[in-house]
Amino acid sequence: MPVKMFDGNGAAVEAIRLARPGVIAAYPITPQSSIAEHLADEVANGNIDAEYVRVESEHSAMSVSIGAQLTGVRVATATASVGLALMHEVCGVAAGCRVPIVMPVVNRSLVAPWSLWCDHSDTMAERDTGWLQFYCATVQEILDLTLCAYRISEHEEVLTPSMVCFDGFYLSHSMQRVDTPTDEEAWDFVKPYVRRNMYLDPQDVMFINDLCPTVEHTEMKYQQMMGFRRAAEVAKDVFAEYKQKFGRELHTVESYMLDDADVAVVTIGSMSGTGKYVVNQLREKGIKAGLLRICMFRPFPAEEVREALKNVKVIGVVDRSSGLGAAQGPVCSEVKAALYGAGVGKVFGFVGGIAGRDISDGSFRKIFGELLDVYEGKADDCNTWFDVRDDAMNIREVEMPC
Amino acid sequence: MQKIKFYGIGGQGAVTAAKILSIAVSVHQDEYAITVPAYGHERRGAPVFAHIIVDDKPVLLNCYVYEPDIVVVFDDKLIDMGVDVGEGCTPDTILVINTQSDEMIERYRSEYGFGTIYACDATGAAIANIGLSIPNSAMLGALAKTGVVSIEAVTAAVKESFGKVGEKNANAAEYAYEHTVKA
Repeated sequence: MPVKMFDGNGAAVEAIRLARPGVIAAYPITPQSSIAEHLADEVANGNIDAEYVRVESEHSAMSVSIGAQLTGVRVATATASVGLALMHEVCGVAAGCRVPIVMPVVNRSLVAPWSLWCDHSDTMAERDTGWLQFYCATVQEILDLTLCAYRISEHEEVLTPSMVCFDGFYLSHSMQRVDTPTDEEAWDFVKPYVRRNMYLDPQDVMFINDLCPTVEHTEMKYQQMMGFRRAAEVAKDVFAEYKQKFGRELHTVESYMLDDADVAVVTIGSMSGTGKYVVNQLREKGIKAGLLRICMFRPFPAEEVREALKNVKVIGVVDRSSGLGAAQGPVCSEVKAALYGAGVGKVFGFVGGIAGRDISDGSFRKIFGELLDVYEGKADDCNTWFDVRDDAMNIREVEMPC
Repeated sequence: MQKIKFYGIGGQGAVTAAKILSIAVSVHQDEYAITVPAYGHERRGAPVFAHIIVDDKPVLLNCYVYEPDIVVVFDDKLIDMGVDVGEGCTPDTILVINTQSDEMIERYRSEYGFGTIYACDATGAAIANIGLSIPNSAMLGALAKTGVVSIEAVTAAVKESFGKVGEKNANAAEYAYEHTVKA
C-alpha cells in the first residue's frame, strides 16, 4: 500500500476522491477551506468526475447535497464551526430523510468570542441531530474512518449520515504519513452507491420531507433510533472487514493500558496521543495509569465504555468543549450515564483545550496528578477547568462610564 | 525524539517548511514526524510558529513543543519584535539562524544562552538560487547540518513539494547546507 503525505484536510479529500462522488457542494471556512479548494482542483483536473456546485452558504451546501444524493449519487461536502451551525436545520433533514451523506467536519470553536481554532463545541452542538459521529486521533484515521463511514452510513439497515470529526490545525493542517489504498482497493471496499427507500426522479415523482402527522412522527423517530442501534453493530463489522483488507485496526472505543489501571483518563480526538504519551511516562514510574479513547461518539458505545472502565478506581473525562450550564461536559455526561449503576470508581469531568488552547503533556500530567490525589485519599474532588489563567475573571473587564 | 520549533515572519514560508520537513523525515528518511502549526490571524509580517517532533518510532505527542531540542529562526529581526525564541530552551538547545551578521549571532547567544549555533545567510541563498527572498528551503538545508534530517532527504522533499521551482529550491537548500557555519 503506497505511503503518501497528507495533512488532515488532504486525507479527507483523498478519501472523498476514492469514494467517487457525483456531486460536490462545499462552502469554504477556516480551517476546512483547503478541503473545498482541493475538491475543486480534483474536479478541474479530472481526478473526480463530479458536478461541483458553488453554493452561497453551508445551508445551501447541505440542501444541495441532500437533493443530489436522493437522485442516486454519492455527494461530498465538508464544513467547520459556524458553518456547521448554519447547516443545523438541514442536517436534521438529511438525518430524517435517511440520506446517508458522509461529511468531514474540521472542529473549530463556535462564537462568541470569535475564534478560528480548535475545540469541539461545533460538533457537540450537533450530537443529537441524528448523525453518526466519529472522532479521529491521527491523519491516518481521517482517511480510514471516512472510507468506513460510507459503508456504515449507507448500510441498508442504518441509512444515517456521518460526521467524520477531526481537530482544526492539530489534524487538519498537520502533515503526516498515510498508508493509502489504491483506487481499485478503495473502490472494492467502499463499493458503488445504491440509493434505497426515498429518491428523487422526475419520471417517478415522490413527496420528500412533507408534513408528518403526529400519529406517524414518533414512529419515524423510532426508525431512526433503530438505524443507530444497527449502526453500532455495523460499525464493528465494517471495521473488522477494513482491518482484514488494509491491516489497520479501527475502534468504537480504544483501550490503552486499562487492564490493571487504577487511574485513567477518557479522551476524544487529537489530544489522545498526548494522553497515551503521559500514560507511558507514568507507567515507567510504576503508576498504573490508563486511557480510554472515544472514537465513535454517536451512537455512543455505552456498553464498551462500561466494560473498559469497570476496574478503574478514579476516572477523569476530558471534554474539549465547555458544556455551559450542563452538569458535566458532553463527553463526561455520556460516560457517567454509561457507568451509572455499574458500581465503578469515581468519575470527574475536566474541561480544557478551548478555542485552540493546547492540551499538552503537561496538561495531562496535571490531570493525572489530581486523579492520583483522589486515589491516594489526599483529595476528594478535582478542578474541572484546567489550564485556566489566574486572572480569568478580570480579562476584558470594562468600566462603565456612568 | 527531537523536538523542533520554527520561528518566522509571515510570508517566509516557515509553516510550509515544517510540512516539507515532515515529508523529508517520513518519506525520505523512513522515520516519523508530527507538525503542529500555530496559525495566528495570518498576515504577512506577523510572527509565525510551527512545532515539529521527529522520532524513529510513531510520534504519540500531538501538542506544541515547549522544551525544544532545536530552535530554527527564519529571521534574525525576531529578537527585536518581542518574540522570545529562547522560551523553554536550555544550554543544550541548538539554534539554527538565518543571519549574515556576527553581531546578531552574539546577541542571540548572550540573550538566550544557546550553546550551539548554526548560522547561514538563507535569504542570500534563496536570492542567489531562486531569485526570491523566501528563505524556507534554504533554512531546511541549514537545519540538515544538525543531523536531525539528511540533506538528501531535504532536497528530495523540497523538489517534490515545489513543482516547477523544485529544482531551484533544492539548489538553495544544498547551497545553504554547504554555507552553514557553526558559530
